[in-house]
Amino acid sequence: MENNKHEHITSYKEHFSTWLALILLTFMTVFVSVFGADLRTLSVATAMLIATIKATAVAYYFMHLKYEPKIYKAMMAVVLALFAFFMIMITIDYLTR
Amino acid sequence: MTSETLPYTSYLKEKTGIMSWLFTLDHKRIGLMYLYGIVAFFLVGATLGLLMRFELLNPGKDLVDPHTYNQIFTLHGVIMIFLFIIPSIPAVFGNFFLPLLLGTDDVAFPKLNLLSFWLYVLGAFFALATLIFGDGPADTGWTFYAPYSVKTGTNVTMSVLAAFILGFSSILTGLNFIVTIHRLRTPKMGFNQMPLFAWSLYATSWIQLLATPVIGITLLMIVAERMFGIGLFDPSIGGDPILYQHMFWIYSHPAVYIMALPAMGIVSEILPTFSQRTIFGYKAIAYSSMAIAFIGYFVWGHHMFTSGMSGPAAYIFSILTFLVAIPTSIKVFNWVSTLYKGSIVIEVPLLFMLAFIFNFLIGGLTGLALGALAADVHLHDTYFVVGHFHYVMFGGTGFAFFGALHYWFPKMWGKMYNKTRAYIGFAILFVGFNILYFPMLILGIQGMPRRYYDYLPEFTFLNQVSTVGSWITVTGLIIIIVNLIVSGRNGKKATDNPWNGITLEWQTKSPPPLHNFDKMPTIPERGPYDYPNAKRG
Repeated sequence: MENNKHEHITSYKEHFSTWLALILLTFMTVFVSVFGADLRTLSVATAMLIATIKATAVAYYFMHLKYEPKIYKAMMAVVLALFAFFMIMITIDYLTR
Repeated sequence: MTSETLPYTSYLKEKTGIMSWLFTLDHKRIGLMYLYGIVAFFLVGATLGLLMRFELLNPGKDLVDPHTYNQIFTLHGVIMIFLFIIPSIPAVFGNFFLPLLLGTDDVAFPKLNLLSFWLYVLGAFFALATLIFGDGPADTGWTFYAPYSVKTGTNVTMSVLAAFILGFSSILTGLNFIVTIHRLRTPKMGFNQMPLFAWSLYATSWIQLLATPVIGITLLMIVAERMFGIGLFDPSIGGDPILYQHMFWIYSHPAVYIMALPAMGIVSEILPTFSQRTIFGYKAIAYSSMAIAFIGYFVWGHHMFTSGMSGPAAYIFSILTFLVAIPTSIKVFNWVSTLYKGSIVIEVPLLFMLAFIFNFLIGGLTGLALGALAADVHLHDTYFVVGHFHYVMFGGTGFAFFGALHYWFPKMWGKMYNKTRAYIGFAILFVGFNILYFPMLILGIQGMPRRYYDYLPEFTFLNQVSTVGSWITVTGLIIIIVNLIVSGRNGKKATDNPWNGITLEWQTKSPPPLHNFDKMPTIPERGPYDYPNAKRG
């Protein structure tokens, strides 16, 4: 068992920047939803993309994924890739029906 | 002084009283509580199956009306899938034996483990409550396909919530096992020194963790659609029913491997013990478990070839489906090779494993027929699918479950069962199982649809054969279960290692003490299946 615990002190600047980015991305989601009616199917894809970026930012900075070994980053990447595959295959089905 | 002469208290007698069981944090006791619950629900599900076969004894009405028949096969499916086969091997034998196989004293999060069990109980309560509340159990089939599940007046919401809660139980068990395997292996046990059952649980746990949330969301969407008419799946209000099928099978196909992979792990444990030889292709079997878990995520569309899904999507899913056959057949070839030149001892657990391979081959090969686009158009939603599924799930996982029960019974209770009765029970079960399900494959090819309470007169003979098979199967099950219950009470005392196994659980007492090992277990130098007297080369 590992006993050496690593403590990471993150700067206020990094916390604040991440928070600001999340707020801006939230505004962007609302903007696309309210004013992006012409995007049709793409409005959903855009909202999903923004949500994915936000979730990644939270995991990377707030949940300290950036300090973790590569294996955990790889696990997260696999999960995201799986989710992308689900979306792509459903979209292929929908668009080629 | 040898360890045999030291007095000790087993986990069964460490504490007494009902509360010491209900709130135990001991992984072995939690495993046993799961066992009692799961076997009870298996018997309920089997009774419902028996009722269905009674109804199908003759064309027309024999026992129940069509609506009740729909409810019976739905409840049979929900109970057998969510309350028996998904939790069966991981929750019972995973809980009991994973820490023992890894040489540690418990799972990583004992309290989370107990929470998993109580969520299982709560989910079971919801499933059974559909019998009492509202307009009775759902009549949708265990798949809850929209838009019917959105419109039917039966108690879909409660059934769906049952599956939702049971999903949480499954996720927490998977999480616990992943952390346990990463963090609590005994010193010097690397991943490639782990027993193959642990490998199969590891692969299974990742599926539980990653796929189950998808069904949770999907089932909540069904509830939302029923309550608020959002227009997610119901085409009359702008929804897409095929989207439901996508989301349902994104979980439920990987879930098939939650059911099958632990069973494959059991086979990989039992075959070397009764062949007294090193397993053939350790790494191939271990990594093929991971490969099955991984590829299993990409093939869900093969359940939907005739649903109205597009041609291009169907081609892609058909090709991907055939990829799963590769790691599966790697396992089968390695198992058979393990038996070759082994010092085979025919005991009941080994017979269950040989039956597993036989049944699973039929189930797997019929699965290939269903994965082929053109054949599936003919076979989809016929009794061929019912036969295929039961060959894989009951003939595979069910036989592995009972095989594991006979293999680890002496370790769990410290008693040995009556072997003669066990042989008889196995033989009757194996014969009955094949008489029950093989006619279904023929009926399906002939075109008899599934989920109908009635059928054309030309299907009568094979349906009657199948129903007689169900009676034989139940007879076998009764003999097996009664034998184990009686032996658990009055059986002869078992030795610590009655099968000459060398994985770590055989290094401790039968039944084990509360903290599993009195001294640090020793790992065989050349891997977990390094039998000292094995023929080499």
